[in-house]
Amino acid sequence: MSWDVRDLSDYLVTVGKNGGPIAMMRDERKVMLLGKHTPGRPKIYIYTSSGLPITTITWDLPPPVLLHITPFHLLVLADDGTYRLYPLSFPSCFSQHTLGTEVSELGIVSAKAHDDGFVVLTGGLEFLEVRGWNAGRVGALAPSELRDPPGAWGLVDPERSGSGHVEVLVGSGGTVISLDALERIDQRLSRGPFTHIVPSPNGRFYALTTSTNTLWVVSSDFSRSLSEVDISDFAAGAGVPDQAEWCGDNAVVLRWGGRVVVVGPNGDSLKYDNTSAFILGESDGLRMITSTTCEFIQKVPDASLAVFSPGSSHPAAILFDALDHFDKKSPKADESIRSIRPELSTAVDTCIEAAGREWDVHWQRRLLRAAQFGRAFMDFYNPSDFINMGQTLKVLNAVRYFEIGIPITYEQYTSISPSALITHLLSRNLHLLALRISQHLSIRPAPVLRHWAEAKISRARPDPIGPGSDDEELCSAIVAKFKREGERSVSYADVARVAWEAGRIRLATMLLDHEPRAAEQVPLLLQMKEDKIALNKAVDSGDTDLVYHVLLHLRASLSPGDFFHMLDDSISPNLTPAVNLLQVYAREGDRQLLRDFYYQDDRRTESACLALEEAGASADGEERIDKLRVAAKAFGEEKERAFEAKMADDAHRLLALQTAYERELDHKFSFAGLSVNDFISALLLAGFGKRAERVRADWKVGDKRWWWLKLKSYAKNKDWDGLEAFAKSKKSPIGYEPFVTHLLSLSPPQPTQAASFVNRCDPKSRADLYVQCGDWTRAAEACQARGDRAKLEELRRRAPSGIAQREMDDVLRKMTK
Amino acid sequence: MATNTAGPSRPFRTPASLLNTPPPPSTSGDSESTNQLPTEKPLNLQILSDLAKSALVESLNEVMPIHQSSAIADEKIQGAKTLILDPGLAGPLGLVTDVALLKHQAVDKIFWLEPGPLNVSTRNVVWLCRPKMSHMKTIAEQIKAQQSTVSPNGPLVYTLLLVPRATELCKKVLEDEGVAGDLTIGEYKLEFIPVEEDLISLELDNVAKDIFLNGDDTPLYYSSSALMNFQRAFGMFPRIMGKGDAAKRLTNLLQRHCQSGEEHYSDLELSTEVDGLIIIDRSVDWVTPMCTQLTYEGMLDEFIGIRNAHIEVDPVLIDPQNTSNTTTGQPPQKKRKHHLNGQKDKLLGEIRDLNFAVVGTRLSKVARRLEGDYGGAKNLKSVSQMKAFVGRLGGLQGEQQSLKLHTGLTEILMPITRTEDFNKSLEAQQNLVAGYDLPSQLNTIDDLMAQQAPWAIVLRSLVLMSIASGGIKPKILESVKRDFLQVYGYHHLPLLISLEKLGLLVKSPSSAPQPFPTLRKSLRLVVDDVDDTKPNDISYVYSGYAPISVRLVQCAVQKNAVLSTGMGVDGDEGKREIQKAHPLVGWRGFEDVLGSIPGATVDIRQRLEGSRHEISREKETITTVVFFLGGCTYTEISALRWMAKQVKGRKFVIATTGMINGTTLLESFGDPEPVPLVSHQR
Repeated sequence: MSWDVRDLSDYLVTVGKNGGPIAMMRDERKVMLLGKHTPGRPKIYIYTSSGLPITTITWDLPPPVLLHITPFHLLVLADDGTYRLYPLSFPSCFSQHTLGTEVSELGIVSAKAHDDGFVVLTGGLEFLEVRGWNAGRVGALAPSELRDPPGAWGLVDPERSGSGHVEVLVGSGGTVISLDALERIDQRLSRGPFTHIVPSPNGRFYALTTSTNTLWVVSSDFSRSLSEVDISDFAAGAGVPDQAEWCGDNAVVLRWGGRVVVVGPNGDSLKYDNTSAFILGESDGLRMITSTTCEFIQKVPDASLAVFSPGSSHPAAILFDALDHFDKKSPKADESIRSIRPELSTAVDTCIEAAGREWDVHWQRRLLRAAQFGRAFMDFYNPSDFINMGQTLKVLNAVRYFEIGIPITYEQYTSISPSALITHLLSRNLHLLALRISQHLSIRPAPVLRHWAEAKISRARPDPIGPGSDDEELCSAIVAKFKREGERSVSYADVARVAWEAGRIRLATMLLDHEPRAAEQVPLLLQMKEDKIALNKAVDSGDTDLVYHVLLHLRASLSPGDFFHMLDDSISPNLTPAVNLLQVYAREGDRQLLRDFYYQDDRRTESACLALEEAGASADGEERIDKLRVAAKAFGEEKERAFEAKMADDAHRLLALQTAYERELDHKFSFAGLSVNDFISALLLAGFGKRAERVRADWKVGDKRWWWLKLKSYAKNKDWDGLEAFAKSKKSPIGYEPFVTHLLSLSPPQPTQAASFVNRCDPKSRADLYVQCGDWTRAAEACQARGDRAKLEELRRRAPSGIAQREMDDVLRKMTK
Repeated sequence: MATNTAGPSRPFRTPASLLNTPPPPSTSGDSESTNQLPTEKPLNLQILSDLAKSALVESLNEVMPIHQSSAIADEKIQGAKTLILDPGLAGPLGLVTDVALLKHQAVDKIFWLEPGPLNVSTRNVVWLCRPKMSHMKTIAEQIKAQQSTVSPNGPLVYTLLLVPRATELCKKVLEDEGVAGDLTIGEYKLEFIPVEEDLISLELDNVAKDIFLNGDDTPLYYSSSALMNFQRAFGMFPRIMGKGDAAKRLTNLLQRHCQSGEEHYSDLELSTEVDGLIIIDRSVDWVTPMCTQLTYEGMLDEFIGIRNAHIEVDPVLIDPQNTSNTTTGQPPQKKRKHHLNGQKDKLLGEIRDLNFAVVGTRLSKVARRLEGDYGGAKNLKSVSQMKAFVGRLGGLQGEQQSLKLHTGLTEILMPITRTEDFNKSLEAQQNLVAGYDLPSQLNTIDDLMAQQAPWAIVLRSLVLMSIASGGIKPKILESVKRDFLQVYGYHHLPLLISLEKLGLLVKSPSSAPQPFPTLRKSLRLVVDDVDDTKPNDISYVYSGYAPISVRLVQCAVQKNAVLSTGMGVDGDEGKREIQKAHPLVGWRGFEDVLGSIPGATVDIRQRLEGSRHEISREKETITTVVFFLGGCTYTEISALRWMAKQVKGRKFVIATTGMINGTTLLESFGDPEPVPLVSHQR
């Protein structure tokens, strides 16, 4: 140990799991020799597991009851319920939370933490649970119904408890009460009172010590007693053990002052004597910190046992031995290999596994060599285990090096995953090592780079001389680093956010400029009140949803005037897409906004079109007339839109006239909404010729259209005399063919009526028209009149048999004469 | 110029062998020997369909909240649910899934999303809809109404799935309505839907209106995302070409996505199956949709209407039981939807791309063959022959069924082709495109209006006139517009303004460049000697007019075809050597033509740093994706399919934002029909 801590018993100590750091603080409640410690405000010292100082924190709140190290933070809980989370990488940016006024009045008796929260016992003898670290939710557990402070209580964290929730075991009198958020169960025991209650790492057993100095191990449902050991002899006269922990799931470790005793399942024990010590149960063993050493105690792993246990006949042991012989050039090597041939793969695998359990590089190497040696005799071997182990050991050895001081075991490493180890390194600000390990293991280095950049920004204090001089430098350093490490997925936006939160707005903007993902960029820009840039970036991204995000934000935060001003695309033409989107949105969601926008922007045509659309959507005649008038007026204000103004006005006049006629005719007819054509035809059909004429005149309906309308209405009314009179009234501007074809197209067709118009058509087409009317005789005559023999013969071929054909023949004969 | 093209009067020589080969255009011309050609496997678009299906299942079962807070990781929708479906989504969804799949996902009942209270009997309510503000309001109302009553199953669990993405606007509406906290919002990323083996569509409506009229690029963004996912499935397009400003914007977006470092886009590799993407921006070619489509499928779309590959027909035509006992006296049956699919319906696959003029002949040929096949039953001599015949019977019945359908549909179309409206407007269109005697075409349009032909026919001709002649003289234009409004109603006024804004109906001399008159020559748009029965040029789809859009594709992939008609004129198709497709080398040779069309020209290579990528062109068949931004017509698809048959070694996948025709396009540019007025007296 590199520190000069002489006596751990003077301190409140906590140790991070999986090779984590050690935090300690002088225990104020103990009487000390003057001069042994520096006076003044209490300080919290954080060391690596090798005793190198990491940082020192000054504590200025009431005395703490709990120190706890999570993978990211140091938690310090004061006895008034205030707690602080110090990020291990930047202790100065801690966050402070409180458990509420009630707790601060009652005070906290004790507290215990797990990976995702902690539980406190308040002065009111109730338990409170805090879930999650940053401003975690506080919830009360079921009422404890305690009358006296418990002799001991244990915490079962959600991962270990059967229910998946936090459970608390409280030693109350002779019994144990288990509590969770919902219920309180008295286990109805009588062995107590208990002095320690500790669940095992796998959660299946509890270790309890009693005031009568018995260690009792019981299954977690208290139904099966596993072992009971009298511990009074282990530390005679020392009374109740100071600490009880599990060493893996196999043994319980008790500590009295500096004496540490490992108690095995059968009551066998091991003793370690130090001046002072602290123990911490890990998932696969136990760490023992003394003033001079940090030791790891564990059950010897099976693989190591197989290789090294004296007299072992395990193939791995023989293989290991064979390597020895081989190195000595002894022929026994070959003999040994032969003897284990069938089990060679087990031997190799076991050697590899054993290498992982070794702390010493020499033995790691030796075991891997044995594996390699054995491999050479195998036909098929998948080397990935071997390679992985080599890689892993390289990483483990690097972090175990005393300057790094993370004594993590292979088991812990595989269970927490490499990325968790990297997080651990980051919390120590060991960026370069983290980066190299990421690269070595082919993990994306993004989190490392990000943490590095954030650390760099938080460390760099703004330049006192001139603001911004170092912004460029910092920005380019960060960008250069990101580029060099070839990592495109690092989010510049995340880094920029840190810069912004640190008050470095200029730097944040500069960093954001490098962010390729607009979706990340824009929200932050809005937060930074860089509205204009945000809008531009959103438009550039082509993501319309992002543009809407900005537009809605601006609409809510700006006055209408400022809002429109910002969107003035005559000043900034690149904003046109945003303006378009605003219109699309407002058309459906905010019509008044759209009207205002068109009005202030002098967009008369658009205003008019809006009014036209509203006119169409209105089912009320009066309202529609009004809207049409508005539209006509708006069109009229634009020079180019004289035609449209006229049309809108016509539309308005038409609707007004239609409603007027409806009124005149006592609402027996419905004209409103018809087009000019349909209106005229409705009037004609109903026999209001005069009115129809008037509409025709008012709207200057052309001759052709008028004739078609008349023709259709006569035909529909089957007014053949009227039609005949109309046909004769004047030379038809549409010719007479339409008379024929239209009458034929009616249902049912009117061939007789149609035929009467054929002789007014062009002589060339008469024959065909007669045929269409079914009048073959006259068709033949028409041909005859024109002397068209070819046509006649064609008709003869097409004619239906019988009379028609005979008549054709007659005419043909006449023509030949 | 052929003016009357419809009517099955022209003879057509059909290789009978084609009838039994699968429909993908794997052969060309008269080749009995399909096997000689390398098997040209089209891109397996089924993947996209499977993706869409599994995404739906996932969305229905597990909603990932958009706001990923630490407290809630993801929420499962457990138990039976009521699905409330946006009617606008039913069509597209029908192409990827069916009710059985939904039932399998514990969907108890399905309702349409429409205003009015909910009537649900399950604990879970799931809305599936497009992100429209009006829908959000309806949903908010429904939730609020439901909350005021006490449900017997306890509080309901509301989930909203937005297709294809949840938008800020929707969230805002829900927040404003105060129900945002009551429901979980998720997304269902329905993107490209495989409609045919060579056709994928986003099935979005009104895309041209959004992009070109309103300047709302939302569909453009959806397209970019869909194309990115296409690239995830099939590899990155080595080359992107395109024409038009929107095409350029889309290309930029695609590149942006690649550079954004988005995780799932970062490890894309260049495709080995696809050699490029050609983006045709609809604004480059408005002429084509304005012309009346003359292929069989095009005609069906124009005159009966195809929506989401479904057509509404008289049930008599599709019901196998109901054979021609034509219902007299019975009330007319409700029309049924029928899925038009060239893979299921082989006959459709054969005739859909033919000019309508030859469809009748082809159908009667099939009818005769079927008759012969059935007649074969009499001549069966041995049991084994009989067994073979019975084995074929199912196929024969299917064929007969589809023959009945298509004969029936042809019978509906045929009289239409004989009407005056049809022939007059067609004549006018063809003369306008050819630039022939414009004043008399104006007269024809006038006549059509006087007879009150459907408004869309008239307006399509007017638009053609404006484009083809570079605008219409102001006086004439005003008088035509005036008449148009009088005949068809003043509510079309905004539509006319929109068309002016889009440059589709403008007065001459117009300020904007009018490239059509020069393109007519440089792209050989008007082809006089095209043979509808035995096409030698893509212009057969319009009986003499080659779509600009497809000519532009030819400029990229079949450069010779732009310059001269194919070589099959002598009829010796069997001997003709099918040429190998030339590689995609950009717009080379047509730079000037491209330059004369307004809008940006795009030609970029997507290359990953350092890696040189060469597609081995010797044996493989390469696919080129043609993406129509703003929709495409059935004739354009037919033309591309025909092109694929002219050379070997290149297939097309046609991708589009949706199917359009001139009428649906014009309708989308206008305001909705005015609501009927309510009389105060009654």
